[in-house]
Amino acid sequence: MADNSIRLINVTKKFGKSVAVDHLNLEIPANSFISLLGPSGCGKTTTLRMIAGLETPTEGEIWIGDKLVFSAKQSIDVPPNNRGIGFLFQNYALWPHMTVYKNIAFGLENMKWKKADIDKKVKELCGLLQLSAYLDRYPSELSGGQQQRVAIARTLATNPQILLMDEPLSNLDAKLRLEMRTELKRLHGTTNATFVYVTHDQMEAMALSTNVCLMNMAVKQQYAPPLKLYAEPVNMFVADFVGNPSMNFLPFDLQEQTISKDDIHLSVKSVHGEKLKKKSGKVIFGVRPENVKVSADGEIPAKVISSFPYGMETTLVIRCMGCDMRTVVFGSVDYQPGEDIRIGLCHEKACLFDEETQELLAVVETEVC
Amino acid sequence: MQKKIRKFINYIRRPQHVILLVLLVCLAYLVVFPLFYIVKDTLLVHTSEVNRVHAEAGTITNYHWAKTFLSSDASSNFWRPLLHSLICAVLSCVIAIVTGGFFAWLVIRTDMYCKKLCSTLFMFLYIMPGWTLAIAWTNFFKNSLTGGTTGIFESVVGISTPNWFAYGLFPIVLVTGFHYAPYAYILIGGILKNMDSNLEEAAQILNVSRAGIFMKITIPLVKPAILSTILLVFASGLSVFSTAQFLGLPVNFYTLATKMYSYLNGTNPGRGYVYAIVMMVLSLTILVLNQKMLGTRKSYTTVSGKSSNISLTKLRKGRKLISILVTGFVICITILPFLSFATESLTQVKGDYSFANFTLKYWIAEDAGIGFSGVFRNPVFWKALKNTLLLAACCSLGAGTVGALAGYGIARKWGTRLSAIVNGLTFLPYLIPSIALSAIYLSMFSTRHGIIPALYGTYAMLVLIGVVKYLPMASRSGLNSMFQISATLEESATVMGIPWWKRMCRILIPIQKTSIMSGYLLPFTSCTREMELFVLLYTPNSVLLTTLLFMYNQKGYEQFANAITLLIVILVISLNALINKLTGASIDSGIGTECKKSN
Repeated sequence: MADNSIRLINVTKKFGKSVAVDHLNLEIPANSFISLLGPSGCGKTTTLRMIAGLETPTEGEIWIGDKLVFSAKQSIDVPPNNRGIGFLFQNYALWPHMTVYKNIAFGLENMKWKKADIDKKVKELCGLLQLSAYLDRYPSELSGGQQQRVAIARTLATNPQILLMDEPLSNLDAKLRLEMRTELKRLHGTTNATFVYVTHDQMEAMALSTNVCLMNMAVKQQYAPPLKLYAEPVNMFVADFVGNPSMNFLPFDLQEQTISKDDIHLSVKSVHGEKLKKKSGKVIFGVRPENVKVSADGEIPAKVISSFPYGMETTLVIRCMGCDMRTVVFGSVDYQPGEDIRIGLCHEKACLFDEETQELLAVVETEVC
Repeated sequence: MQKKIRKFINYIRRPQHVILLVLLVCLAYLVVFPLFYIVKDTLLVHTSEVNRVHAEAGTITNYHWAKTFLSSDASSNFWRPLLHSLICAVLSCVIAIVTGGFFAWLVIRTDMYCKKLCSTLFMFLYIMPGWTLAIAWTNFFKNSLTGGTTGIFESVVGISTPNWFAYGLFPIVLVTGFHYAPYAYILIGGILKNMDSNLEEAAQILNVSRAGIFMKITIPLVKPAILSTILLVFASGLSVFSTAQFLGLPVNFYTLATKMYSYLNGTNPGRGYVYAIVMMVLSLTILVLNQKMLGTRKSYTTVSGKSSNISLTKLRKGRKLISILVTGFVICITILPFLSFATESLTQVKGDYSFANFTLKYWIAEDAGIGFSGVFRNPVFWKALKNTLLLAACCSLGAGTVGALAGYGIARKWGTRLSAIVNGLTFLPYLIPSIALSAIYLSMFSTRHGIIPALYGTYAMLVLIGVVKYLPMASRSGLNSMFQISATLEESATVMGIPWWKRMCRILIPIQKTSIMSGYLLPFTSCTREMELFVLLYTPNSVLLTTLLFMYNQKGYEQFANAITLLIVILVISLNALINKLTGASIDSGIGTECKKSN
């Protein structure tokens, strides 16, 4: 089987004066499932389209396997159809004047497949994606989820070794989205293709991929496995973007191994044992909501501002140390606004960021002094 | 070197680049180059001017410019026609806006009767060529000034119409204004109809009076539409030719366009070209102004997509009276002209409308007097009909195809400089008045240029100018249709390796077949009724229905002229009905549906 890894070297794309993607370096291993994650306008879709050959980079090189498919220096630009890719569009891009069958078969007809082979392939795919009942329908007669499955079938028909997906689930309702996530993960297992997946939904990126590339303002922020992204964000942007409810950020003063705010003092210890990059000064203490423990013997007093009971867990907004914080309490419990509670931060993982650069200083464990 | 070749191949591989580059070259030659060429022509001594300029043909002279602006006859031959053109433009504007706007309000916002009928009839004015009304006016109100017989009005009522009423400024302004009133109706009506009624209701809830709502909410919202109608009608009014020729000539009322025509057709073409340049500069100024105003003005999103129930203004006691008056008026300016063409083509002795005087001889007789046979037996008529239809077919094929391709190229490269330039170039012919454009082509193609032979007098020349003239129309509809399709529909095929022609034929065109079709059909109808564009260029060999009519009219063969006018109008209206059938959309569709609902 052909090598279906992807390598982007110093890829830059400018639209006029605005930079959509800025010197992006990215190694996508063969057969992996990579997400390009970021807020809208961060350059993730542009990156995907450049890999596909639908957009021409301004600078840089793109390799697919051991084949150089784009190079600005050497003026190489392999057309999309020779890159061995499939592309799944956000709006599905189904041809409205063709039936489901025709939509899937069209690409194969163009490849001069025999009629019988086409028929077999289409039926096989439709079986796989539960579309067999809809072969003669037009896209407009299908629900969003069915349309999406047709689009997937059409893309898979030509057996691409690389599957590029541009927010394929964003037009579906929440329930269908969950179903399709399962479907995509299953497909990744069966097709053995490299999946590159663009999304602005961090939950989707976390749940699906082997590696997540988080981008912001045209620049790659962090490229790591989902849980590493969650536990060890390299800067405050990543920390804030990943996780829901998002991380609490509290301003503290750092003095040797202790951080203080008002009369609260916490001792911090790097979990990886390295020394803090900063000895003293202003830092931001970032703690995930689930690490803010609500308990009767907690060290720090707090007041409930509002409570959102979801059934499985309850999210609280509390006032603590002069800041608003979010915390999660597991189980079916409810709190009244104004209620006095206590929280504990002991022996929990947290992040320390430099207030100025917003970069991560260290992942730490805390203890109340 | 190898790298450069690769770069070039990468560029050319994309069909949109090829299309844009080819168009750039062709349009530069067909639209930009002529602009320079005509300037050169204003500085040369033409063969027919040798005696006038006292210089050899082909030498350079400032005679034409000096004569136009500085000579003793400049005031009567240039400044006065210019003033006439300006007055015509302003007054037709006022008439168009007031009539069209008021009509739109009546149809959409009141409980008037007969809305559907009125709306349909009113659109006739838009479909019929502008000069048909001018001919109808002469049929009715001609007085004895031009010699011969008088119009229907004088014959029946016995009162002689004064010259100012029968000819010149007054009828020209009226006829042009009425012809463009449907523009105002469509633009203003469209907004009135689609306007989110919440916008007005919000004000109502705040206790604003009805008049207040109208002045402070409704009018400002339709202002952009009014503005663009004004500019459009103004530009058209400035360059109006045939109406001015038919109604102005008997009293020596000249506009820039008719003056230019007389110079070009006379012995001083160089001066005619100067007039053409002046007309172009005027139109360009106005349309640049339009662009500027529309550019800085944010267009309001008045359409919310919600079905809004507009509460109709009750006309109360005036309902019947207003309905009758409006319907009567609309019939007067649409059906009556129609009838007059029929009647005039049937009367043997002009001015006598007794039944005994009616004859079919101008239609079918072997010899209908003045050495012609009746229209249907006249080989010239059949030739003109054939030429007209063939020309329309050629122009529509040319403009439609180029327009669709241009739309594709421009849409795919939207935002790049090349795309912007080509987009501007396809639109440029729209800014050049027809009569000026034909003057340019007359000047440019009357001699051989390199590999391009002299085209004057050939059919190819008419096709060429037709394609160029209707390209803006076709490329607009091509561009719109391409913008309506998400680029991903094509990209998904590109990724699969489906070649370009297949993407066009199997995906893009089938999806947008109606709007692509209208890119072909609009030029077709426009071409069948086009007079101004061809009146300078036709030769006996390439005679068209409209130019035949023009010739008959100028020579005073009124029965024939009316017969042919009638046929043209019937042809145009049936073509239009056919198009509505085929594309499922009518020009006033946005407004027509409302009428159905409210009736």
